[in-house]
Amino acid sequence: MKVVGITTQQEIFVGSRTRNFRINEFLIIEDPSQNGLMGEVVEAKTFNRYIPLNIAGDFVDSSVLESLRSLGYNIDEETIFIAKVRLLNEALYPVLTGSDIRLPEFSEVKDLMIKSRKDEGLVLGVIRNTDDMARAMEDEYKDLLYTYEENGLQAQREIPYIMDVKSMHQYPHIGVFGGSGSGKSFGLRVVLEELMKQAIPTIVLDPHFEMDFSQGAAYFKEPSFDFEDRFKCLQVGFHVGVKFQDLSAQDLKNLLGAASNLTDAMNNVVDIIFRRRDSFYSFYNKLNMLMEAQEEGNIEKIEARIREAASEEERKAWLERKELYLSYDKTCPHSSVRGIVWRLKRLDNDGIFSKDIREIEEGLQRGKLMVIQGNTRILQVFSTYLLSNLYHKRRDYKDAQYRKTSAEYFPPFIVVTDEAHNFAPKGYDSPSKSIIKEISQEGRKYGSFLILATQRPTLLDETITAQLNTKFIFRTVRASDIQTIKEETDLTLEETRRLPYLRTGDVFVSSAAMGRTIFARIRAAISASPHTENPFDELKKRDREDDKVFMEIIESKLPINDTDLLDLILEIEKEFSITFTIDSLEDRLKEMAKKGLLSREDTIFGYRYKKLN
Amino acid sequence: MFLIYRIHGDLKEKIRELNQVLLDKYSQIFSKDREFLRDFIGKHIGPIDTMKKLDKKHLALYQARGGIVGVDGSTNTMGGAFPHFVQLFQGLAKSTLIEKDDIFMSDLYSPLFTEASTNPLEKDEEVQTAKRNKLLSDIELKVALESVKRHKPYGILMDGSLIRYNIYSADLWKQLRQTCEEEGILLVGVIKDIKTSTIGDMLKEVYPNLSINAYDRELLFGILDYGEIIYIRDQVSKKYEYDYSSVFMRSSQAPTVIGVDIIDSQKSHIEEMSRLVYTLTPENSRGVPLWLDLVDKEVQISDTIMEGLMEKYMDRGIYERFFISERVKRN
Repeated sequence: MKVVGITTQQEIFVGSRTRNFRINEFLIIEDPSQNGLMGEVVEAKTFNRYIPLNIAGDFVDSSVLESLRSLGYNIDEETIFIAKVRLLNEALYPVLTGSDIRLPEFSEVKDLMIKSRKDEGLVLGVIRNTDDMARAMEDEYKDLLYTYEENGLQAQREIPYIMDVKSMHQYPHIGVFGGSGSGKSFGLRVVLEELMKQAIPTIVLDPHFEMDFSQGAAYFKEPSFDFEDRFKCLQVGFHVGVKFQDLSAQDLKNLLGAASNLTDAMNNVVDIIFRRRDSFYSFYNKLNMLMEAQEEGNIEKIEARIREAASEEERKAWLERKELYLSYDKTCPHSSVRGIVWRLKRLDNDGIFSKDIREIEEGLQRGKLMVIQGNTRILQVFSTYLLSNLYHKRRDYKDAQYRKTSAEYFPPFIVVTDEAHNFAPKGYDSPSKSIIKEISQEGRKYGSFLILATQRPTLLDETITAQLNTKFIFRTVRASDIQTIKEETDLTLEETRRLPYLRTGDVFVSSAAMGRTIFARIRAAISASPHTENPFDELKKRDREDDKVFMEIIESKLPINDTDLLDLILEIEKEFSITFTIDSLEDRLKEMAKKGLLSREDTIFGYRYKKLN
Repeated sequence: MFLIYRIHGDLKEKIRELNQVLLDKYSQIFSKDREFLRDFIGKHIGPIDTMKKLDKKHLALYQARGGIVGVDGSTNTMGGAFPHFVQLFQGLAKSTLIEKDDIFMSDLYSPLFTEASTNPLEKDEEVQTAKRNKLLSDIELKVALESVKRHKPYGILMDGSLIRYNIYSADLWKQLRQTCEEEGILLVGVIKDIKTSTIGDMLKEVYPNLSINAYDRELLFGILDYGEIIYIRDQVSKKYEYDYSSVFMRSSQAPTVIGVDIIDSQKSHIEEMSRLVYTLTPENSRGVPLWLDLVDKEVQISDTIMEGLMEKYMDRGIYERFFISERVKRN
């Protein structure tokens, strides 16, 4: 292997007659005038001057090549391998053409590849194309993981990619980008598994209900780690919610505004009517009564209601309404009051106000991974409240420490969310965005970090994207997203060109902590997503189950003549309380006969269905 | 604009004339059908036969016995008119056994470099060409000799007719021929462009009233089928006096015919070697064995390389003073 062609201080070409190069491979350049040059292959090409065989315009057929092979000449051996190599550090002078090239030993690249011990970092996968160097690797880095390839599980052959989680203190926040099916969700799962292993307090916003870690992946006979007591799935409105009494007017406005923005008048209504320590019921009641009073139209009509009240209770209620009407009608327009009442009602129906977030806090205190599930709209509402609440708890604690006063301990934590562009969209404001933005900008100081996954990095708020110091970039096909990635990461032109063709699970890790981009493969997840069953398999399975149930029902009734169907229907209804119509039952029987589960014969009285012989 | 058109018209006319002359000259031949010529060849020149390609076992045998070596030379010139030019020669012997090294040799000729000849005849183009041919065939023979020594092949395929070695480098040729005969190495020439007139001469002899001067090249065009071969009787062959045996064959789908020479003492191998040439020629090609094409490609000195060599290893002053012609600077 030698340096060939024109060289610069940053880039060289390397040629070899015997060894093919792989992208992202490391090579040592033995330039006699400067030491310690190391480069990474950014483009690999092969070239055979005889193939395509257009020697003097002739097309060469394979039989002649076959004959030449019999004579001892294999044309493939004329292949030349060429690699474009980028130096890791700029050289002082352009590299000497003709310099020798060799493969590095593990010890020479260890510091570049491994930044953390396996028990302190996140063991996320392997660095691709490092198997040559990995052979001389110390045992502590061997056999840490499996990767999942086309033909099943594969033992680790390459250098492990261990993310230094401590470096997040200097280089906070992680972005995970990639189109659907690119391995993004699996990558996120593996990150979460590692966070659980390290017992790092984590909140996961899970709009897809997929971050459940209780099932082991089918490809492992025995899961190597049990996550059962390391995580908890909580559904908004069912397990967790907002404690209304703890809300400030601002919190409440955020909640109400999370789904769609409040008008100024609506904000005004909340400010005027809401009192700290109001319970949901008292607040809702106040608004509701005001609305009813306003619906009467004017004070005379309300007074008429008072006069004509059928009972003492009703009279009192209308008196109350009158009071509210008198004090608020001028400042709170009817339409705005009504808007607030509807929104409040909707949140209540979602169950948000029925629970609190104590369980989440406790989980974090014990270093658990708390998975918050709910549909996107509810999560938007709830996360706004949740994140600002937790973040400020952590912040208060740290500030108190700084001021040397005392405050309740709250641990540092990581916030993880898929579909992050829904929580922090570019171009318009949303309540959850402001808290995510705050964490992205200041969270580092307080030990609050973000891991934001999205398939549309273009739609994610730019200020936040700029704060993501480590980015995992999976296969991306959309041109606009590739453009965003180009702008936001240090991926080279060659690397961005490869983005649409990456295999599922292969990822570029652009990391400020590493100072360069690593091409890695995410390891096989230990746990499995609950959504891995193929929906088409599911249909088939479901079909078979249906058939089985039906066969069990009619088993004892066979043989069935098509004249007896009416009696049969009555019988079935009595025994199994399942109702068929004559048509549907006949259809079903025909279908079974077609599938070969029953035999059908023609008699003079019509069809008859029998058991198979 | 008008002027250009007129010259154009002139040229057209000239070419049309050439076409007519050729047509007239060959009309008697072209009017004969294919079968006539084939019969004539069978009767007076030699039998037409159909070849079979060699099978892999046969080829493997060649491999076991040292493989086949292809030999070719090339030349390139840099500079202007006499004597301000330099000519590079390069010869290559390449064995089909991949582990054997290629043998390259090179030589150089420049009228400035050889002792300045005062003979004005030296400037004569013919003399120059002769010199050039001698140097080229010398270098080809040298690599072939070296290959005999180092590769010890089963056979050597030389690019072009063997006869020119007699003409240009008799001594070296004798040496090579002798060594090959002693060591039992088959020595074969493959002629892409045949320049003989064996058939035409015979036609004249048999039909004196056919007043033509035709070469084998045009006569054989399209006469043979793919894979057919003519074994030229020694009595007929002009080459016999130089102790060669020859065949014509159509080695590809292209209608042109190529020739194969072998030294007389190895005549019994001519069929086998012809079949080898046939086997190594791609069906849809110009009819040249791929091996020789590969050798040719490797031995060629491209203009870029030549220029690079001159620029790198020659003082700029010398280079400019002697070898940069006005023509080069034109573009």
